[in-house]
Amino acid sequence: MAGSAGTSPGTTIEREASTDTLDVAERPWLVVVWNDPINLMTYVTYVLQKLFGYSREKATKLMLDVHHKGRAVVASGPRERAENDVSRLHRCGLWATLEQPE
Amino acid sequence: MSPRRRISRSRRGGFDVRLPPDERALLAALPGQLEGVLDGLGDGSSTPPEALRRLFPVAYARDGEAEAAYSALVRQELLEHRREALAVLAQTAATSHLDDEEAAAWLGALNDLRLVLGTALEVSEEPPEIAPDDPRYGDWVCYSYLSFIQGELVDALDGSLPPPTPGADDEVPDDPWGELPGGLRWDGTMRPGQP
Repeated sequence: MAGSAGTSPGTTIEREASTDTLDVAERPWLVVVWNDPINLMTYVTYVLQKLFGYSREKATKLMLDVHHKGRAVVASGPRERAENDVSRLHRCGLWATLEQPE
Repeated sequence: MSPRRRISRSRRGGFDVRLPPDERALLAALPGQLEGVLDGLGDGSSTPPEALRRLFPVAYARDGEAEAAYSALVRQELLEHRREALAVLAQTAATSHLDDEEAAAWLGALNDLRLVLGTALEVSEEPPEIAPDDPRYGDWVCYSYLSFIQGELVDALDGSLPPPTPGADDEVPDDPWGELPGGLRWDGTMRPGQP
């Protein structure tokens, strides 16, 4: 946190609480694409290549995971970047959410 | 390229479009119908009706507060993006050549039309059985046609993708939830009919 430099270190509980907060904030967010019966399989593969620069093989594998398992993790990163990825997928009409695993 | 294809990469860049007049008339008319529905959303600040939910997907399925902030941030932009694509499709439905930007707009508009029609038709993994005397038959024919033409466009666009980004494939993380029977849906519930 800005402005904390030079102040007293605080109690153990406070330090642990702030460490926990940091851990949650730093844990990467996952971008998940969910299966839906409308988007064409070739379209999903195309979008994953176009947006993320994946090879056709990788994009096809992710698309098949979406189709067969119901979802696939297609990217991860800090919250802001993951949210931006989700909004780019939403522009393309894909069913994408952000998830931060426990 | 097979001459039977309606949309293919052009030797002069962009894409050649060969469509019979009745198909062009359909592609010119459909965007206006969806634009009319989108007009009902006003400035995009209110919750979209059920029929349009696929155009404004949920980003945070389990956090209402975060979702409200997200949708407030993106909904208007999403609405404008969809309107612009629909307008390009309607304006260029008669053309025999699309540049790259127009082709991208076609792809988005065709997909949006399919998302709305497919939602209304309650399309599922199994093809619906809709008889010619069913009032939904016209929508079903439109939906099937749009699927066909979008498939052709995807094939054509696929051939003009830039090379993959080096290292991008390796950055995809493993799925921390592992294998799930039948998989979960976006809202965390199991897909119906799965063990």
